[in-house]
Amino acid sequence: MSFRKRNIGLSTGGDRPAALVNSAVPLQQPAVPESTPGVRPSPDDGRPTTSTGTPSLDNILAGHGGLPIGKALLVEENGTTDFAGALLRYYAAEGVVQDHRVHVVGMPEQWGRSLPGLIGPADAVDEKQDKRKGERMKIAWRYERLGEFGAGIAGSRVPTATPGDQSPATADSSPDKRPAFCHAFDLTKRLTHPSITNLNYIPLHPSNEPLFTTIHKRLQAAIASSPPTTVHRIVIPSLLNPTLYPPESSQPDSVLPFLHSLRALLNTSGVRATAMITIPLSLYPRASGLVRWMELISDGVIELCPFPHSADALATSGAATSHEEPPQGMLKTHRLPVLHERGGGSDQNVGQDWAFTLSRRRFEIKPFSLPPAEGDKEGQDGAVSGGMPKKADLEF
Amino acid sequence: MPSQPPLPPLLTPYVSSLPPSSLTLLSSVLGATGNWLVLRFLHAALSAPSTPDSAFSFGEGKNGKKQKVVLVSFLRGWEFWRSEAKRLGLDLARLTDKRQFAFVDGLSELFSAPTTPTTTTTTITQTPPPSQPSLRGGPIPQRTVLPARSAPGPIPARGPQLAPRPAATAPAPSVPSAPREIGPVKRLHWSGNGATALEKLEKDIADVVEQLWATAATTEGGEESEVLLILDAPDLLLAATGPNKGVGATEMSDWVMGLQQYVHATVMTLAADSPLIHNTSAFGHQMATPLETEHAAFAIGSAHRAHMVMQLRNLETGAARDVSGVLRVSKGGAWGQRDNADEDGVWEEREVLYFIQRDGGVSVFGRGE
Repeated sequence: MSFRKRNIGLSTGGDRPAALVNSAVPLQQPAVPESTPGVRPSPDDGRPTTSTGTPSLDNILAGHGGLPIGKALLVEENGTTDFAGALLRYYAAEGVVQDHRVHVVGMPEQWGRSLPGLIGPADAVDEKQDKRKGERMKIAWRYERLGEFGAGIAGSRVPTATPGDQSPATADSSPDKRPAFCHAFDLTKRLTHPSITNLNYIPLHPSNEPLFTTIHKRLQAAIASSPPTTVHRIVIPSLLNPTLYPPESSQPDSVLPFLHSLRALLNTSGVRATAMITIPLSLYPRASGLVRWMELISDGVIELCPFPHSADALATSGAATSHEEPPQGMLKTHRLPVLHERGGGSDQNVGQDWAFTLSRRRFEIKPFSLPPAEGDKEGQDGAVSGGMPKKADLEF
Repeated sequence: MPSQPPLPPLLTPYVSSLPPSSLTLLSSVLGATGNWLVLRFLHAALSAPSTPDSAFSFGEGKNGKKQKVVLVSFLRGWEFWRSEAKRLGLDLARLTDKRQFAFVDGLSELFSAPTTPTTTTTTITQTPPPSQPSLRGGPIPQRTVLPARSAPGPIPARGPQLAPRPAATAPAPSVPSAPREIGPVKRLHWSGNGATALEKLEKDIADVVEQLWATAATTEGGEESEVLLILDAPDLLLAATGPNKGVGATEMSDWVMGLQQYVHATVMTLAADSPLIHNTSAFGHQMATPLETEHAAFAIGSAHRAHMVMQLRNLETGAARDVSGVLRVSKGGAWGQRDNADEDGVWEEREVLYFIQRDGGVSVFGRGE
């Protein structure tokens, strides 16, 4: 690479942050008077968004930096693992910390007591990591940031800018002053927060009314009876799981009207609520019409495909470098809130292969890549034979 | 790129001047939704004829008739359509005011009876008449209410309005507040079973169409107008009720055909994801569920009755950053059944790519262009 070329790269990098600041300023202004904890305007179009409790999930939601208010996210999971449950717990815990009203459908109070413990604002945790990274390797600093855009907090805050020219200064200086939008949690600890008792549990008791009608009425009543400034989070773990839901609830004429009413509830003007629903794909495959309709009614659809244990060899080699944790599965975005409602496309993250890693402290989503040729041939063979057919399996 | 015309020239022949009593089918999939195309239909019908290219050829109805639109949406609320149309320069609230446009809300209360179920079925049918005289004022409070959500200081603005809320009975509050905010919007409600429930919906929609007709006759001095009906995702009705509740593909087709009688032309959007269409075929190794069979029958039957079928789908080669999806326009089963060939309009079958920009503009282009 010649000296001249690098110079050009630097100068565009210098221009962009200026434009970035200009465009960001008007967007950030409404946040100041609104000052609802945990709600900030989307950098894309200014609509209020709230955090899912997982910074890297916030970042792949079509440049809004969070889940827009009034939208529902459907998280599907293959297999018997419970990664989606971890996402839900982060989502609920974030709501508790932000003093949002959290409604939990179909889970006992035990569930609420097992929410992950608070570490602190996610930005702070990220920063520490960034510093460590910075010290580690100076040579490839340009590429380091390229890799960071998917996982790092700065990635989609300004979606129009290409990932390479994010200046860390602009991204990191602003969140310090504002109240934290997203927090980091520790799965091995238990959340202790004064407002954790405010969790609203909606049990699934059989009654003479259809089950989903009862749930919907209780949600509606709970939302109507709280002050209009409240932000609500509706958590529906493992929808239609036969250990929780009676068999007749998986009839389309039972669950689809419920999801439709839930969508209506979220879209009611004056209601500020988001929802996250998980569904076990092993019981309700994506190839069935019912699940497809559930997806069509949801605003965002994310599919988690955990790697089976036999693919551990792949997983270890799937990490780009040795210090990164190996990915535990693939994540697919089938539909993103707002973006796809408008017609789709035009998002830099669409169509990307994502891998996720769940560790004690974070659920991290980053671009999936097969490793470069490592010294030994075996790792690569494992990657090809183990990785390719599985990708095809998961495709449909 | 930013100065895209709201209606891409390539699309114009397809979305404007729909032949009389025709059905246009617009199929979409999960990752390639058709809302943007519905908006283009709205724009083609409703935009003022001041733009040069619509003035000389396509914009208005063929005989210079004024076009009106009734939009029935089962998956998306008024707020979505209003804000998205604004990006195209269409002020739906104002057009509603001018009686050129009517929105029928099939989302808000379709299955969720608003807390007092027995009375609402009757009040819903009664809401439009009271809102009709106050139409001049109808959307205006709406405009003042809506910004209050994002504007600074929503709390003081809302405080006085909401103070009486707790005083009222606990389950009641959502009912009085909702109509005030939505304004002149009719809300559909599913009640009863099968054909009777569908009939009621049909009547509700027909009422809205009739009201547009009525005002056309009185206020515009007999100026002739055409009403375009857009049914957004009526297949939700089929999926969410199904044969258990006496609704099947046949009933749905009858329902749509019944609605077609009231209007000049109909545009209908359907989901055409492969599980909903292909699971019924012989390739499926598992048994197709009633949901799948009925949906496939409804979708395919509609395609046969349609004059034009517009299919949206994802790019086969995977997602791309500058392509949102593929649009295929083909002749439906009912094409060419008229004596007068001109009636069918001047357009040819083709397949193009489209790309939705962040600002809502759409570029439509052929492969490799």
